[in-house]
This record gives sequence, structure tokens and C-alpha cells, in this order.
Amino acid sequence: METTKITKSSSSIEWGKIFRSYGTVIAGVIITIIFSVLNPDSFATLDNAINISRQISFLVIIGIGATIVMSVSEFDLSIGAIASLGGVIAAKIAASGGPIWIAFLAPVLVALVVGFINGWIVTQFRVLSFITTLAMSTILGGFTFWLTGGATIFENIPDSFRLVGQKSLLGIPLLSIVMLLITILFWYVMTQTAFGRRLYAIGGNESASRIAGLRVKWNKNAAFALGAALAALTGVLMASRLGSAHPTAGNGLFLQAYAAAYLGMTSFKEGVPNIWGTFVGAAIIGILANGLTIMQVPTFMQDVITGLIVIAAVIMQKFGRGSR
Amino acid sequence: MKKAVSVLLSIIFIISLAACSGGNSSKDGEKNVSIMTPFLSSVTTNEMVEALKKQAADHGWKANVIDTKGDVGQLASRMEDVIASKTDAIIIVSTDPNQLKAQIQSAKEKNIPVMGCDAGYIEGMTMNATSDNTEMSKMITTHLFDTIGKKGNLVALTYRAHPGVLKRTLFLDQMLSENADVKKVTEMQVEVPGPIESARKQMESLLLANKEPGSITAVWTGWDEPAIGAAQAIEASGRKDIVVIGIDGNSQAVEMIKKGSPLIATVKQNFPGMAEIVAQQLDLVFQGKAVEGTELYAPASLITKDQG
Repeated sequence: METTKITKSSSSIEWGKIFRSYGTVIAGVIITIIFSVLNPDSFATLDNAINISRQISFLVIIGIGATIVMSVSEFDLSIGAIASLGGVIAAKIAASGGPIWIAFLAPVLVALVVGFINGWIVTQFRVLSFITTLAMSTILGGFTFWLTGGATIFENIPDSFRLVGQKSLLGIPLLSIVMLLITILFWYVMTQTAFGRRLYAIGGNESASRIAGLRVKWNKNAAFALGAALAALTGVLMASRLGSAHPTAGNGLFLQAYAAAYLGMTSFKEGVPNIWGTFVGAAIIGILANGLTIMQVPTFMQDVITGLIVIAAVIMQKFGRGSR
Repeated sequence: MKKAVSVLLSIIFIISLAACSGGNSSKDGEKNVSIMTPFLSSVTTNEMVEALKKQAADHGWKANVIDTKGDVGQLASRMEDVIASKTDAIIIVSTDPNQLKAQIQSAKEKNIPVMGCDAGYIEGMTMNATSDNTEMSKMITTHLFDTIGKKGNLVALTYRAHPGVLKRTLFLDQMLSENADVKKVTEMQVEVPGPIESARKQMESLLLANKEPGSITAVWTGWDEPAIGAAQAIEASGRKDIVVIGIDGNSQAVEMIKKGSPLIATVKQNFPGMAEIVAQQLDLVFQGKAVEGTELYAPASLITKDQG
């Protein structure tokens, strides 16, 4: 009798652990199954899978940037404005006949500087990152409007600029390949290098990290710079995909990026911002948007559902933490 | 564990419910028309979408409205989704098609017609119905310049990112270059969404910065919503020496004009007329016939306190 009881109890604990650790992933799989069953002809196709992978690429890349900043327990509200600026700078260079590699690289370098300034203000003057980056977002928004005159840039953009955003390699969109490479690269940086571990240590306990001799300010500045660089790259890729740059094109991404990162915190049991978690979070948001659109669910309902799922995921994360 | 399971089950339940409420199933032979815009919260865009929905119902088509709240990148993604779902036609409303070139091309390759309603026309689209923005700007700007005696200080509140508004603003630029006595104090880009509040704030600041009578004679706005915001700010300040004009002829603006507010005139766009043109042309496409033109105009009319 006693043996049977113990076996039942451990089995129950195992399921609980699995659920708490991978609840978001399980939810993602179930969502996919529901859409596949309801819409086998449109949703559950290879073309649509490729379509989703291309669509989520922006959210994954900018979400990874947000994740890096969140790993040091800070927020960067300017990532949307940086993405818009990045797209505009790239499109301007491409439209003026500049080399394409400069069109891709220059915005990233500009964003590295902007991100570093964000970090420097936050760490040097101990200003809340919310306030600093909100102000930076306003500044960049104004600068982007000044650069464009408020208009969309689409004239004289060469086909070579559109290549990454619109072409495929062996049937896989280049955007999806870039997204995967960046995810793997930053997963490696954040989990397998001393730099990544330092960021998590600072995010976990800043005072203890300082006492332990970590260069907290420098590392935080680097996190902001990397987050901004990835946001700018997102903007450049978006401009490449659309073949045009709009002065507010990236603004809508910033809230979704944090939603993806928060969803990601509930994935893979860490309970902390993590790269693959953000990937899963972005994928869930992308799958929901794609599936609900195909199902012709009204857009207001899509927003309600996405919001409810983020809240549910955060609640699940709380249960997960409570269990430790 | 039980709480977590209940949260997960709730998620699944919500999605299932939403999916079922989507009403994906079309009756046999019923055409699915996807109406897409990033600006549904705009009064005029909303009017067009409602008119398109009515037209779709009249023709026996199933309309699916998609709004991305100002996000064109999202609009591109959602357009790919409806192409994947094998929609029968796409109507983009108040959107610059230059930002959707790849998606328009993709729709064309799948034989899905892409129509524009107050959008623009580019290669790959079937047609676009709009007002002649240059003609409307000519109508209202000439009226404004005549009202102020072709002399004074003018504030421009616009949004050059919208292709239609850009055309109107370019005509203002031309009129300003031809009338040296009308000086442009400043041009400001209105925030979208939220153009009324944005224009009101901008105008309040401009009024504080230009307190002398005659320092601002007129406010030219690219469409009615900033005109409403600007007129509200002028009214609140008690200034009687500034006139405002708008374009579109939305009901709130017309009401203010008739009441004698600083908003003195607008040009009424025929939004239901545009929707009707789009529906007529789409009907031809569904019958396998050619459209009557790639850029078709619905005529507009001037509205003042005594006219229209």
C-alpha cells in the first residue's frame, strides 16, 4: 500500500513540475493544434508555417533586445522609436545610392551609441530607465520625423536593399534564417559566456554584484547598447521587407516585444528573461495573430485574447515561482 | 497545480471560443472580402469601412475587417495571413500601398485582386477609388486664401506620411509659393492616432507663442480632425482673429462650421461614393470583367456656414 502511495505522489509532482516549467510551451502547442484542427487547409500548411516564421522574425529580434535589457532588471521604452529610426536611416542611405552593407550597418552603429547613452544616463545619474528611455523615445521620434518630413521613404530604393527582407534560400525566408542565427548567437552569449552570466548576476542582485567586483555600470551600458542595436536591426529588416520606411513603422513593436519577453519568462522554467523563452513568446503572439486572422476573428477580439494570454502567463509564472 | 491547470484551460477555452466566433465558414459560393486598414479609429476611415461593409452585404459578400492600429508592419503580416487563407479580394483603406508592395505582388500572383479605397494606386493593384486630393486642396486653399485676402500668417497642421494628405499639402506649398504675402508661421506634423488631441495641444502652444493679434491669421489643416482640435484651442483662448479650414467633411466638423466656430470651411469627400465605386469595380472583377480605370474619383464639394 505504502509503495503505491509514494509512486502516485511522485508521479503527480512530476506532472506539476513539467506543467509549471513548460506551461507556456504547452499552451503554444495546444494553440497550434486548435488552429490546425479548425483550419487544416489554410493554417496547417507548410506555406503558412514559413509565413509565420517570417512574420515573427521582427518580434523575435527586437524581443531579444528587450530581454537583454530586462536581464539587468531595466526597461528600454525607446526600442520602438529606435526601430523606426533604424529603418529610416537604412532606407535613406539605400535610396541615395549608398552601399547596401552601409545601409544595414550604419543604423546598428547609431543605435549602439543611442543605447549606450541611455545606459550611461541611467547608471551615471541613477535615473529610472522608464523615464530616460521614454524621453529618448520622444527625441528619436522627433528626429525621425525631421529626417523624413513625416513622409514614407520608398522612392529609389534598389532591389538589392529588399533582398534580405523579401528573398528566400532553399524555400526558407532569409528573414527567418537571420532570426534563427541571432537567437542562437544571443542564447550562446547570455548563457555560455562570462558576459551573459554577469548580466544575469547584476539583474539578480545589483548590490551584491557590485560588492563582488563586477563593473555594473559598464555591463548595464552594454546591455542597453545591445538592446538598441537589435531594435535598429529590426527596423532595417522591416524596411527591407516592406521596401519602404515609415517614420513610425517600429513604434508598435515595443509593447509586443515586452509581451513576448514576459511570456518567455514563463517558458523553460527559468522564471527570468531568457532568449529561447522570448522566441517562444514571440512565436505564440505570431501564431495567435496569424491563426485568428485566418479564422476571421475581429481584430479587437485578437487584442483581448493576446492581452488575456499575457496575464494568464504571468499568473502561471507566479505559481511556478511559488513552487520553488 | 490545480490553479495552473485552470489558467491553461482558460487560455484554451478563450481561444476556442474566439475561433468559433470567427465565423470562418462561408456559404457555398459566397465571396470573402478582406477590408484592411491601420487607421480604423479615424472617423473618415471608419466611415469608409462601414460603407464598404454595407456594400459587401448588399452584394452578398462576407466582409472581414482587419485593423492594425497605426502599425503598417502588422498590416503587411495580416495581409499575408488573408492571402494564405485564400480570401477572394483585399480592399486596403487609407493606406499607402507603397508600404505593401511585396504583399500586393504576392496577392497578384495568387489571383487575389487588391483594391484601394482612398489609398493610392501602384502596379499590382486592381484599382483605387479616392477623391482628387489636389483638386480638393485647390478648392479649400483657394477659399482660405480668398477669405484672408491673400495676406497673413498661416499655420499648417498636416501629416505628410499619408499619400492623400501629402498631395493636399503639396498643393498648399504651391499656393504659398505663388502668394508671397501669405507667410507660413510653421508646419507641424499631427500625431496619428489621436489627431484631434494632438492638434489641439499643438495649437494651444502656438497660440501662447503668438499672442499678438494678427500673428496667426489662418490655420490650414490636412484633414478635418486636426481642424477640429485647432478650432477648439482657438475658441478656448477667446481669439476671434483666426480662421481654420479642414478637408473631408466629417459630421463633427460640419456641425462646428454651421455653429460659427473658427472652423469656417471644409471639403466634403464622398466616402460612401468611394466605397460604392470600389464595390462596383470589384463586382466587375468577380464577373471576370475588366475594371473601368485604375484610379477613379468620387466628386467632392465645398462646405461653408452658408453653403453645402
